[in-house]
Amino acid sequence: MARITYTTCIATLYLCAFARATPPEARLPEKHRAFFKSHCLDCHDSETREGNVDLEKLPFRIATIEQAELWQKVLNALNAGEMPPEDSEQPGNTEKTDFLDDLARTMVIARQVLADSGGKITMRRLNRREYRNTIRHLLGVYVNVESLPADGGSGTFDTTGASLFLSSDQFEKYLKLGRIAIDEVFERRTTAGRKPMLFRFEPEETVNVGNERQIKNMEEEHERFMRWKAGVDKAAATPENLAKIAELSKTTPRINNPTRFYYYANLLEGTPDPKDFGFRDAQRAAFSHQGGYLRKYPYFKHYAALPHNDRGAYLKLAWGVCRFDISPPPKKLPSGTYIMRVRAGVVEGSPSSRHFIEIGHPQRRNGVRAGFAGFPLSSHQITGTIRQPEIVETQLEISAHTQREFGIQERQPTNTKSLRNAYNRDKRNNGYGTDPAIWIDWIELEGPQPEDGTPSPLRTILSRHPSRDGSEAERARAIFTEFTNAAFRGEKPEETFIDKLLAIFEVRRKAGDPFDVAIRTPLSVILASPGFLYLNEPGNETERRELNDHELAVRLAYFLWSAPPDRQLLDLAERNELHRPRVLREQVNRLIADSSSDEFVSGFVHQWLNMERLDFFQFDANLHRDFDENVRAAAREEVYQSFAHLLRGGEDNRLDKLLKSDYVFINGLLANYYGIDGVTGDAFRKIKLPADSVRGGLLGMAAIHAMGSDGVVSSPVERGAWVLRYLLNDPPPPAPPNVPQLSRLKDQLLTTRERLLTHQAEAQCASCHRKIDPIGFGLENFNAAGKWRTTDSYQPAVAKKQRAKKGKSWEIDVSGAFHQGPVFGDYHELRELIAEREEDFARGFTQHLIEYALGRPFGFTDADLANEIANSARSKQFAVSEFVHSLVQSEAFRTK
Amino acid sequence: MNTQFKGLHRRHFLRGAGALVALPTLESIGFRRSAGAAQTATATPPKRLVFLGFGFGVTQETWFPALEQTGADYDLPEGLKPLSRHKEDITVVQGCSNQFSNEAHWGSTFWLTGANRFAAPGQSMSNSISADQVAARQLGQHTRYASVQLGSTDASASGHGPGLSLAWDQYGKPVAGFNTPVEVFHKLFSADNLPLEQRQAAMAEQRSVLDAVLTEARRVQRGLTKTDKDKLGEYFQGIRDIETRLSKDKEWLEVPKAKPPIDEPEPGLKGREEIKVMYDLIVAALQTDSTRVMTYRQPVKNLLTSLDLDVAPHNMSHYSPGQRMEASKKRDEVQSELVAGLIDRLKATKEVDGSSLFDHVALAYGSNIRSIHFLDNCPTVLTGGGANLKLGQHLVLPKDTPLSNVWLTMLQGIGMNAERHGDSTGIVKELKA
Repeated sequence: MARITYTTCIATLYLCAFARATPPEARLPEKHRAFFKSHCLDCHDSETREGNVDLEKLPFRIATIEQAELWQKVLNALNAGEMPPEDSEQPGNTEKTDFLDDLARTMVIARQVLADSGGKITMRRLNRREYRNTIRHLLGVYVNVESLPADGGSGTFDTTGASLFLSSDQFEKYLKLGRIAIDEVFERRTTAGRKPMLFRFEPEETVNVGNERQIKNMEEEHERFMRWKAGVDKAAATPENLAKIAELSKTTPRINNPTRFYYYANLLEGTPDPKDFGFRDAQRAAFSHQGGYLRKYPYFKHYAALPHNDRGAYLKLAWGVCRFDISPPPKKLPSGTYIMRVRAGVVEGSPSSRHFIEIGHPQRRNGVRAGFAGFPLSSHQITGTIRQPEIVETQLEISAHTQREFGIQERQPTNTKSLRNAYNRDKRNNGYGTDPAIWIDWIELEGPQPEDGTPSPLRTILSRHPSRDGSEAERARAIFTEFTNAAFRGEKPEETFIDKLLAIFEVRRKAGDPFDVAIRTPLSVILASPGFLYLNEPGNETERRELNDHELAVRLAYFLWSAPPDRQLLDLAERNELHRPRVLREQVNRLIADSSSDEFVSGFVHQWLNMERLDFFQFDANLHRDFDENVRAAAREEVYQSFAHLLRGGEDNRLDKLLKSDYVFINGLLANYYGIDGVTGDAFRKIKLPADSVRGGLLGMAAIHAMGSDGVVSSPVERGAWVLRYLLNDPPPPAPPNVPQLSRLKDQLLTTRERLLTHQAEAQCASCHRKIDPIGFGLENFNAAGKWRTTDSYQPAVAKKQRAKKGKSWEIDVSGAFHQGPVFGDYHELRELIAEREEDFARGFTQHLIEYALGRPFGFTDADLANEIANSARSKQFAVSEFVHSLVQSEAFRTK
Repeated sequence: MNTQFKGLHRRHFLRGAGALVALPTLESIGFRRSAGAAQTATATPPKRLVFLGFGFGVTQETWFPALEQTGADYDLPEGLKPLSRHKEDITVVQGCSNQFSNEAHWGSTFWLTGANRFAAPGQSMSNSISADQVAARQLGQHTRYASVQLGSTDASASGHGPGLSLAWDQYGKPVAGFNTPVEVFHKLFSADNLPLEQRQAAMAEQRSVLDAVLTEARRVQRGLTKTDKDKLGEYFQGIRDIETRLSKDKEWLEVPKAKPPIDEPEPGLKGREEIKVMYDLIVAALQTDSTRVMTYRQPVKNLLTSLDLDVAPHNMSHYSPGQRMEASKKRDEVQSELVAGLIDRLKATKEVDGSSLFDHVALAYGSNIRSIHFLDNCPTVLTGGGANLKLGQHLVLPKDTPLSNVWLTMLQGIGMNAERHGDSTGIVKELKA
């Protein structure tokens, strides 16, 4: 296998570390001594201390945080071009680039060395995801964790104990969230066993009736407007008014617009009073015409005249009722699981990209019958026709915090202005506006569905102690003891703790609360206790100890499920069998195969590949209309599903399939987005690709390219840095702050490549960009939203109302070469070269997996472990599950 | 990096009555030269401190006054124009930054702390006490609430970065705030209609809850390694903080809350109206002496929505000429308008001695982000007579003057005995009146 080697000394050092496992030093190579001396120490020696900065005693080997901070300042000053000052001798470009390159890399190593915990794993509290899943496991309900501070981010995993904090406020939030969840358990208990309610919505009975009513209103209003207008027109013809209009048009040119004219009727003499015609003022009267009748009447009439209106209704995309709601009285929707069914068909001849509906909670900011509160909950492809409609069925969850109503609408961008623009264009063409694409027969909501599976631990405990059993105090004690035991993952509480809970209960009981209410505060206290919130493992200061089977079960479950261990794991721990390598291997296979490991897949992959960038930008709906929230969600899911597929094995299990594969994991929506025919439905599945496809592997995924954009244009820099960081394991140093955007070139007609090459003109930029940019340029065939393109263009932006400037278009040329590496002619060759770097990819993956699983930053002390895992995985052709097995079997995972 | 206090027995004389206690402090640092006589009047209004932080910075081209026009004679640029009528009352400071800030989307996390995120080895995030909390430790002893933090529901999208408000406590942990005007109003003014007995019972229950979890925490603590014990220390600290708050609540249990000088806000206000009402609440809280220290982490997303600007805050922050830049400029303008309105109200509100509330407030308005991804030259506007700052000027400080120097100047100006704050290297002499 051909391997590209980057021959920077640090990279070599890095590789050596894997072989020899001696923690490297963060040391700036000696060869830079001369540079440092001649360009820095002139003024910043101990004697001169210019600007109070003394660099003379600053060692090349960075051993403390203070030294690192001072070096960071040096790096920043050089990066910003502030040092050396203009009036002193300037270093040569190559010299400076090399110095910066090495210094930036040394700083990266220094951060790692200084952060190295020496293999120590800090106890951690449950992160947001784990907290939600653990409550779900214990109580069977979903809590809304939005109010808890976000964990992780900015380069750390949310499993890193040392970086998971707790404050008084958070403690109070846990108490409150726990209480909400417990209240919900009791609510669900009362509705359990009841027959599900069924609500049905027939749009022809409401939407179409409303449409007809609006048509009548518009006609009536129009008639009044026309009478008023006649009066205005007559009055406007007088010489005084004509003179007045001429005068007004100097400051208000809009008055010359034949439609807009009537907004100014009140400024003229002798015009009829709008009030006599049922309008509050001239503005209202004029708007009823311009914003009402002219804009919408033909549209409403067109929809009213469409066939099949007697049985159903069409979803509109702009104006009128665009969203069909199913909103029974909220009381009739107790918390639980519901099934929604939508019987729908597509309009013949409408574009296939419009054959999707989205479901969400209706927005109630205003009375407009369109849009959701927040993003859609799900999207669904409609494949039936009006003659043969199809029923789409989906499951929805109602919890204490959910809005108790749902709506459906045609898929659309959240920024709806682009839809109105499209409507106006369509109206100019066809006389009425945007044609319909989806027809709805009816919508049903049924639930709460009977609960399936075993009841949650709390429900079991509650039913184990019905009211006829023993004294109240005994009953409460038993419930508290058993629930504490469950909440603490098998850990036994102290009697004094239970006594104190009981005391709280008794005060409440005496104050008049019924038993079922009086026990709730103590129960929520359990859910805010350290035994629940922290994954605590007693430890030894001087030497590491092996975890007992019970602790191992907890670690394993939180690693692969982000949730507490299930019965089977706990039983194996009880029997002291879990630690046996064979048993452990079986259990890992079982946990991975279970759908609960989706939590690991999404939690790990999202953070490993820095996918928070996917949500950084709102996409410009005029340029990337198809990249709406549904596609964004599906694009994210594609990444997860592709990884899950490899993790769960079968014929494809090699990690490098993420670099290149001859298949994709997509659903109907993404297939439509990618232009792949023959894939319908909402389920993700494996689809074989033709040999020359640009898709297949991470580099072919829309999510990855969208992350490397700002929602408008692609960003070769972000993409290049991402590839180096996550695929090639050759992370560039973090981007320095305070570096100007390249907007100073905004008026020049340059291609993206020409524009970015200015990065390399300055030494401080070239040191990183000569590596980053060629890779980014190689991916320029993907636009900001990950669609394939062969041409690109640049249009200088202008301020509002200014005339557009001349733009530029060009054929995209992606050819280039890795810095000091092989050349590539097109995207396919670039992808091939990257795919050959499986070893590097595997190494980066291993490091991240270790960090996620052990909950501490990957340090140099982990080099042996990383080697061991990589070697073991290599012997199994880099099967993804093998990395997991090897890590779980390792001493690091099994010891505290 | 905590602020350090001199004076070992501060508590001793701070326990006195009302505003008088501030006197020895003021004189001891010799800051308010003219303060002497005025302060001895029995009804001297207390000092207050207010910080208003907006996440994603400003439009740098149109917000900062020209660098060559310094002192009193300078032109207010477009973005600050709405403050024209208060040109004499504000000072615009340029050149300051928090040297350790390196996250381009964190406009508020280190704004008032000046901390180094990487100060604690192996931790991805550490912070230290914010300037307002330094003041709250002293000023907060005399009021029902030591400090009140305001925020909004859109914080995650508004470029503020980690944190629950602008405030961070002495351990560098985030202090929570109130995110809607209605909540703030109720906290400040809603009379607790429950009978005293029931309120006492509720407090007793809270104490029992804390007592129960402490028992549990002690069990967990046994056998932990030192690092893990330290980690659990955060939990203990959290519980202790709540206990402190409960003790304070108890002291004030029988003192009725102040009568609200304004009506209860409409629920659901978003954006421009939301900020306006929050400003009203700031005035109301200070006026009634419910608290003397306030921070407000302002909404940006809601503001844009309320102005019908159809652009996401982060997109706007990466402006270039066109829709994004127009939105950015509009944001600057409306924010300045709102601050001008707040100054109007501070001036219109009279204190017992006939002076205005404005005379006793020290207020800073700004962000840790200048523009786009720039973290230097943090936009900073100072106003209010409370810290005896030299107002009515455009002050250009040497590049990368620690922003903490400005905070330190304000803290000393309102009589705090702080010698240092964050990464401060001293006070800003040019700010002293």
